[in-house]
Amino acid sequence: MPGKDFDRAGSNGLQLDVPSHKQANGHTERTISELARLYSYMRSRRGTYLLGGLFLLGTNSCALLIPWLMKLAVEGLQFPLKAPHSPAYYALLIIAAALLQGTIRIFSRTTLLHAARRIEFQLREELYAKLLALDLPYFSRERTGDILSRFTNDLTNVRMLMGFGVLNVINTVIIYVAALFLMVRLSPSLTAFAIIPFPLMILIVKRLSASMFRRSKRAQEELARLSSHVEENVSAATVVRAYCREDAQIEEFREVNGRYLESNMGMARLRGWMIPVMASAGAFGTLIVLFLGGSRVIAGTLTLGDFVAFNGYLAMLIWPTIVMGWILNLMQRGAASMSRLNHVLDASGTVTDPAEPAPVERLRGEIEFRNLAFSYGEEPFLADISLAIRPGMKVGIAGPVGSGKSSLVRLIPRLYPVADGQIFLDGIDVNRIPLVTLRNAIGFVPQESFLFSRSIGDNIGYGKEGAGAGEIATAARLASLENDVHRFPDGYDTLVGERGVTLSGGQKQRAAIARALLKDPAILILDDPLSAVDARTEEEILGSLAGYYGDRTVLIVSHRLSALRECDLILVLEAGRVVEQGSHDDLLAMDGRYAATWREQQLRAEIETF
Amino acid sequence: MHYGGIYEDEIVGKAYDRRLMGRFVGYLRPYRWLVAVTLILLPPMAAARLAQPYLLKIAIDNHIVKGEMEGLPLLAGWFILLILAESLFTYAQVWLLQYVGQKVMFDLRLALFSHVQRMPASFFDRTPTGSLVTRLTSDVEVLGEMFAAGIITIVGDIMVLAGIIGIMLWMNLKLSLITFSVLPLLVWVAFTFRRRMREAFRQVRARLANLNAFLAESIGGMAVVQLFNRQAREREEFTRLNAAYRDANLPVISWDAALYALVETLSSIAVGIIVWYGGGEILQGALTFGALVAFIQYIEKFFSPIRDLSAKYSVMQGAMAALERIFNLLDNDHLPSSKESPLPSGEGGRRPGEGPIERIQFRDVWFAYSGDDYVLKGFDLTIRRGETVALVGETGGGKTTVTRLLSRLYDTQRGSISFDDTDIRDIPLKTLRARIGVVLQDPYLFTGSIEFNISLGDENARRRVEEAARIVGADRFIRQLPNSYREEVRERGVNLSAGERQLISFARAVAFDPEILVLDEATASIDTASERLIQEGLRGLMAGRTSLVVAHRLSTIQDADRIVVIHRGEKMEEGSHQELLAKRGLYYRLYQLQFRD
Repeated sequence: MPGKDFDRAGSNGLQLDVPSHKQANGHTERTISELARLYSYMRSRRGTYLLGGLFLLGTNSCALLIPWLMKLAVEGLQFPLKAPHSPAYYALLIIAAALLQGTIRIFSRTTLLHAARRIEFQLREELYAKLLALDLPYFSRERTGDILSRFTNDLTNVRMLMGFGVLNVINTVIIYVAALFLMVRLSPSLTAFAIIPFPLMILIVKRLSASMFRRSKRAQEELARLSSHVEENVSAATVVRAYCREDAQIEEFREVNGRYLESNMGMARLRGWMIPVMASAGAFGTLIVLFLGGSRVIAGTLTLGDFVAFNGYLAMLIWPTIVMGWILNLMQRGAASMSRLNHVLDASGTVTDPAEPAPVERLRGEIEFRNLAFSYGEEPFLADISLAIRPGMKVGIAGPVGSGKSSLVRLIPRLYPVADGQIFLDGIDVNRIPLVTLRNAIGFVPQESFLFSRSIGDNIGYGKEGAGAGEIATAARLASLENDVHRFPDGYDTLVGERGVTLSGGQKQRAAIARALLKDPAILILDDPLSAVDARTEEEILGSLAGYYGDRTVLIVSHRLSALRECDLILVLEAGRVVEQGSHDDLLAMDGRYAATWREQQLRAEIETF
Repeated sequence: MHYGGIYEDEIVGKAYDRRLMGRFVGYLRPYRWLVAVTLILLPPMAAARLAQPYLLKIAIDNHIVKGEMEGLPLLAGWFILLILAESLFTYAQVWLLQYVGQKVMFDLRLALFSHVQRMPASFFDRTPTGSLVTRLTSDVEVLGEMFAAGIITIVGDIMVLAGIIGIMLWMNLKLSLITFSVLPLLVWVAFTFRRRMREAFRQVRARLANLNAFLAESIGGMAVVQLFNRQAREREEFTRLNAAYRDANLPVISWDAALYALVETLSSIAVGIIVWYGGGEILQGALTFGALVAFIQYIEKFFSPIRDLSAKYSVMQGAMAALERIFNLLDNDHLPSSKESPLPSGEGGRRPGEGPIERIQFRDVWFAYSGDDYVLKGFDLTIRRGETVALVGETGGGKTTVTRLLSRLYDTQRGSISFDDTDIRDIPLKTLRARIGVVLQDPYLFTGSIEFNISLGDENARRRVEEAARIVGADRFIRQLPNSYREEVRERGVNLSAGERQLISFARAVAFDPEILVLDEATASIDTASERLIQEGLRGLMAGRTSLVVAHRLSTIQDADRIVVIHRGEKMEEGSHQELLAKRGLYYRLYQLQFRD
């Protein structure tokens, strides 16, 4: 089987046509579109946000009252004889306003920030639901660490925007509008002068924040890369140790770590400017008021009370102005993160539920391939496969590495996309069968068994909702796992560690088989499930499984021909095509590839028995 | 439904803030000069900030009230200078803090990563990947926030507060004391808050770690979830963890809001008190208008850092919790993973781990992955130089464990393994592992090129990449890839078939040209044709090397010099293929089972 297309299994592997992940460089303008989805979340909670806004209005009204009361108090002090009230009266009013302000403040903050946490919760739920709905090609494309980073760091940025961001935007708007209104009432011309520095500052900040967006996005990407690196390193812990690659890994990490540091410093250099720029805006305003306002008081066109109140309002503008830089930063980061979340939320799996599902509830196990073709990329990987499998048939699939054995069986439960009109179960196009019905009917044991870090019992019980202890034990017995489990310290309650690391390869595989058996499927697919077990275990498993098969349709992938011998039909694949098919005896009689391989295996056996 | 797995709560004991901080300060040491500069910048920054209200007082009292224009422009000039100075100092300080902070984070991440590299393989059996990733990313990120909003800034704030108290007392003792009467309440509030927040934050972080661990696993096992139609149940469990995380956060927000509001209210109440008492003083002529206005400005400046003290406190608490978890990981050192310095010369004048190894000896080796569930029970084995020994037996019988112990991925509990009478625990781990080439049961591939996956970035190995690939018969399929050896392998090698991945891991072992070769069920899941190719390659590789092969297929070990049959952790039979067959014992049965027909 020299150099043929099928050997390119990896080359074009899994590059299905999907929009590229690489996003165009962000501009401030795109911020808006990224945030459109967030707006819909806010709208669904508009009652809460409205209430929060009202609370903010309340608390700020109290705050705005205080400088005015100060003005009245100062005027009273300046002209005690004309004063209608004593300073104590105004002091009491100030304290009353302060208490009211504080009380409402608690509600405004909890209302809005709790809402942000709830939106975060909801968004995380939707992200996870999306992941559950995405197909295998997606997960082979995306790095786990990258997805995780979206769930943690990006979600945090978005939450900050929805909570503190929104809170401060509302706050700023209220304070700006109200304080400016009151300042204009005190002295329109002075107001005009006092706010001169502000637009200038905002302009500067706008420019700063545009490059902040780019830098923040880069920092996010570097962080995701860093997470991926750690994730991979931890998963490969054994290889790293066995090959003494610890130091090389550290070096590599240092590089990734350094790039992340650099991207963060890029942000820090900009952020360093934000605070002093914004703070000076306020201070320059005060300066103008001091100079111009002072002259007016001296000239008698402004009262001292007005001057004090004016200063008070100007001081109230300083904080929101300082915060504005921070909010802009928050918005940029939030938008950058939201675009990364949108990437997940908008991802579309190629394997989806049929729009018009066929009315089918149970499948009998009849499988038909009609000119089945499949490719991971451009080059065909499987081609011209036509075959009808009757319910209850046992089919073996043999062939060299990369000949498409696994791909063929993976297509039946639609782990990978199948074109219409190529695979039929009970005469129904597989794409028209609801995914739940389809997958419930299939017990699939993949090449690499994946176990969850739960107990061994939970892992087997995964095959069936609400499986009882008895059923789990039966499945374990059928998969020849029962004796092993009895030797575990806590029996079925023994935790298997992450990905089942505390089990041997064979135990993992048998647990995966037991899990599939428990499902009681009409079709059982074993994708080379015996690779990690020895001869004796293999015999045990095959022995007890044969009894279980009954009238189920069974597909076994193996390159150990002895495992396929009892099958009703054996397919021999090569380069994604069926080159031979028939029963064991037929194939031997055909004297082709199968027979050659069989003889080779036999010959070795004979040499060894010699 | 609670799975009660290892990702469940790992809320740690009491927090010793001082101890944690003390230790953290150690990480600042390399940057102590930069820290010193930021500290030196603090007093002038505080002074520039505090002089502003006092200028206002002078302006009001000496000019505005008196109606004197002269000198007002000069005051304005001073004001501008102060503003510029404050901005400059602030910028320098913010930038320096960020710089130091990012550097420390860099160091800490590197320290964590390096530490994880020193952990024995057994550590990873118990620690979920997700929580390690959290430790290196989110937890360290939180420390970054501490730098942006925390420690040194707090020192600056305290300096400003002390300055304000000083100026106020100096300006008017009585008015100051009356104004400060609200402070005890503030202190009480801050302490109550502190107690409540600490517990709440710990909960938050532990629940976040659970959530992430669950998520990481869920992504890894997505195919299984979908094949078994368990999306609804996974979602249910995820929702439970997600809600637990959300619910841990809500009280934190409420407490934070309460503190913020209280500080703000107290600040306004203080203003009220100043108006009340100060107003009386003005009427009596004991206080000037300018002083009253300055007082109010000072009190606003006084409460403003306290107001975001709550925010800073949250950040600090978060940082403490994060530090605790980071240090916990750094302190997790349950196994002496290696002796870094080699032992002094042995009797033969040869240092352990150098020169050809004549004899590998397992003596009465006992090993259990957990508790006293022994996988190996008094295992003995001697392997001579150049010999190929095959381990045969049932799955779970302990074959793989034998190979793991040899390269010290795990350490024996009892008994010893030695190279020419030197216990392998006395050989530097690197020296030991550099001599052993391991082909693991599950070939793990990294994201990177095929070439990188064979050489793992090692210089010497890189030169042998193609030769190694040829020896194991991987060269043929690699050359057919569009980019040949530069073809990128995606996460965990999903774009390669299982057989191809194994061929690559074989090539990897060959490229490192080890003296001892350990093959763990290496020929599994490879078709007969590839198996033949590989066996030819391996034959060449094993020549002159001491090899320990775990085999579940008897055909792969026909060349073995000796076969050892392991059964339930004990050595049952030993000998050549023919001898063992003649014995008609366990080996004979294993053999019969596979090739019965």
